[in-house]
Amino acid sequence: MSISSLLGLKCEDAASYCNKAEYQEASFSDKVKLRLHLFFCKPCKDYNHKNHKLSQLIKKADLKSCTKEEKDLLRQRMETQSETSK
Amino acid sequence: MAKNKLDPDKWVDRYADYLFNYTIVRVNDREVANDLISETFLAALNSMKNFKGDASERTWLISILKRKIIDYYRRINSNKGKAEVKVTLPDGEAEGEWLEEKVADLSDRTAEDEMENKELGLAILDCMDQLPKKQARIFKMKTIEGIDTEAICNEYKITPSNLWVIIHRARTFLANCLEKNWF
Repeated sequence: MSISSLLGLKCEDAASYCNKAEYQEASFSDKVKLRLHLFFCKPCKDYNHKNHKLSQLIKKADLKSCTKEEKDLLRQRMETQSETSK
Repeated sequence: MAKNKLDPDKWVDRYADYLFNYTIVRVNDREVANDLISETFLAALNSMKNFKGDASERTWLISILKRKIIDYYRRINSNKGKAEVKVTLPDGEAEGEWLEEKVADLSDRTAEDEMENKELGLAILDCMDQLPKKQARIFKMKTIEGIDTEAICNEYKITPSNLWVIIHRARTFLANCLEKNWF
């Protein structure tokens, strides 16, 4: 990792590392590069903050989604209903 | 403004998750929630002619679902012995007791917090509804269902960098959408 590759990180790449970090998919070197970039770049720092807050909100909301089986069952029930009413 | 139309074939795909989140926080049981949702869809099918098109499809379905949830609570309440609520009013006779009983219990904040979370969940789903369909689907798979990057890429025939671009767009939009009320 040379100095120029550390400091020359584009905001675009920083955003990508930042997103990956939210899903625990950033490598150690990604995280180091990101940290360093955030130190210099205010907009990315703000984005990082917002992005992290979003993750926290989603976690807090504890969203559920129906499984495929549950959805199939719903569809099935609706179909039998519309057949019997014909 | 064009009247809203009903499209029952799409109901499950479009609204099942929203209705599910709405229900699960209220009844706290997956099976019951699914039963109530299917009852809602069936009731909606039967009363399609009553839909005037003033409200959106989802609002209309939610209004039916609300009644189903209330019915459910009536049903389980008539099954068991009537719940009894006892309130002890301090009469001021027993010295030194009345003060403690009148003071609000500060530790009892959970109900309020839960209510806030209910709204938060629906707010997130509302914002997600505004995303392009594929973006919303991929974001949901990755973030809520926790499916591997690789599996999603295979299903949608995209590269990981495509996926991260999609995730980035979705996250940026959602953060802005939620910013006003929740940040």
